[in-house]
Amino acid sequence: MFQYVVRRLVYGIITLIALSVITFWLMNSTKGDALDRLKSNPRITAEEIQRQTEFYGLDKPKTQQYLTWAKNFVQVWNYPDAWGRSFQGTQKVQALVYQRFGGTLRLMTTALFLAVLIGIPLGIYQALKQYSFFDQTMTTFSFVTYSTPIFVLAIGLQIVMALYLEQWTGVKFFYTSGMNSVHYADFSFWARIGDTAQHLFLPSISIALISIAGYSRYQRASMLEVMHSDYLRTAKAKGLSRRSVIVKHALRNALIPIVTLVSLDIAGLLGGAVITESIFGWPGMGRLYIQAITANDWPEVMAVVMIIGFMVVVMNLLADLSYGWLDPRVRYD
Amino acid sequence: MTDPKSDGGVDYQALDLAEGISVEPLTQWRLFRTRFVRHRLAMVSVFVLSVIVAATVLADFLPLANPLRGINDSTGRLANLLSPRSGFWFGTDDLGRDIFSRVVYGGRTSLTIAGLTGLMVASLGTLVGAVAGYYGGWIDSALMRFTDLILSLPLLPVAIVAAASLRQIFQGHEALALAILLGTLLWGSLARIVRAEFLSLREKEFVESARASGARDRRIIFRHILPNALSPIIVNTTLVIGGAIILEAALSFLGFGVAPPTPAWGQMAADGGRVAVTGSGAWWFVVFPSAALIITVLAVNFLGDGLRDALDPTQTIERK
Repeated sequence: MFQYVVRRLVYGIITLIALSVITFWLMNSTKGDALDRLKSNPRITAEEIQRQTEFYGLDKPKTQQYLTWAKNFVQVWNYPDAWGRSFQGTQKVQALVYQRFGGTLRLMTTALFLAVLIGIPLGIYQALKQYSFFDQTMTTFSFVTYSTPIFVLAIGLQIVMALYLEQWTGVKFFYTSGMNSVHYADFSFWARIGDTAQHLFLPSISIALISIAGYSRYQRASMLEVMHSDYLRTAKAKGLSRRSVIVKHALRNALIPIVTLVSLDIAGLLGGAVITESIFGWPGMGRLYIQAITANDWPEVMAVVMIIGFMVVVMNLLADLSYGWLDPRVRYD
Repeated sequence: MTDPKSDGGVDYQALDLAEGISVEPLTQWRLFRTRFVRHRLAMVSVFVLSVIVAATVLADFLPLANPLRGINDSTGRLANLLSPRSGFWFGTDDLGRDIFSRVVYGGRTSLTIAGLTGLMVASLGTLVGAVAGYYGGWIDSALMRFTDLILSLPLLPVAIVAAASLRQIFQGHEALALAILLGTLLWGSLARIVRAEFLSLREKEFVESARASGARDRRIIFRHILPNALSPIIVNTTLVIGGAIILEAALSFLGFGVAPPTPAWGQMAADGGRVAVTGSGAWWFVVFPSAALIITVLAVNFLGDGLRDALDPTQTIERK
């Protein structure tokens, strides 16, 4: 077990190194030197160029630049100077990325919460009412949602739930841009909560919808499999009540696979967040990532991609460990 | 038809009809066809996909407006954001271009990329999986570690940064660049599946017999084992193509896909969304490209499902 975790951690570190090399190479393969770009930017002073050149070793060969970056990057404890300054201005990359990480975290946790809270009960209920009208309808919904790109969902929700709903009712239910209103600071406590929810709902539900479709399908299949197992027939034959059979015997085992699915899904949710944040003007890492790529700002791009990669590696490991913890039949080797 | 009495008194054909059993031997192909045709959604999907593919392939011969040029009305003004009407079934976009024509030509872009990606995934995934599964040992370990590495990269962020730089290298050939990029990122899961198939098949007697009669490795891999592992390859590649269409659309939506004015569904949906959110009421600009996208992906996924049910009836339908 211990050996397994250590080996997985080593693989995780290799994955992160590979990710950083690939991203560094991709960001440096086009549009010439970062140094040339800085020099051609009239807003950046000679002093700043000097500072950036020293910090990132921009006048050195690419390999050395990468090593310099890696050496600085791993020193995360030197907040906020460890990751240097952005190429677009004078903002410190680490401070900026940490702040944006908060935005993404708020969006992701809400989306995950919604997806688990809706998707799993939905799947269980569908399995209990297999082939009913409700089951068939939700199956169709899942298939269609699963085949819909997230940006179509997001735009559709923006148009129908925000634009048209406001036109029809004259009341603004949901906002389509930003994390809070401009006058947020002046609001009372309850007004703040309401304002936050109004901003959070549409972006988080558009991320959650695809996961809801996935979770409910998976939970339905897993529940049906358990319902047809021998030990459940025994439980029924013993004369236990239907409620007891479902809650005590079936649910426990039917929930195991979904734990793994949910932890593996975090990577997909992060990907979805990149798109959704761009559509809803959400100040998170995803939007920062797109802006940084467009601006050829590789220190920012590297910082965001490494944080996402780190989360994916950790979640994958947790998924595998949780599976063994919940199901003692699983052996690690 | 001959007299039933002449055949020992047994009328096979009547028996077939009455009992629903057939005495004629069924070939693999016939078994597959019977099961596939029974999958109603898959049959509808085949029809829908045929129409879409035919339209995109034959687009140049269809009476379509120029997808790249805006249309002027009788007074010479640009006919932008016309609602759907006869002549412009899907309306016109903000630059006065016929949306129907752009959806058809956009389909050509999107489907070409998805198709090339599918080809790349099928060949790369099969090759890596076959070599790893057949030879085993250190070759297997090395190839599978590499596969794990590819699979554990965060897909969309890497795809975005790669698309952003590849489209500068492949200027004018973005479609090819995107196909290579998506193919490189998506072959991992197929390689795993093919490897598992090869691991079990290489122990079978027919492989041993082929080896005993002096067949070389390459012949055993491609002539003896591969045909038996074809079902999961076909099914998985179909499902990967569905995913590739969505991924390509997401990239072109974010502006890292095929460069305008060449139409692509994701890029059109992005423009349409931008116009619709301003409250212009031009729903058709966003609805038709999005609908084309959803219908195509849905059809590809149903086709994959039907193929799986028909090719491998023992496998239960398990959708993530």
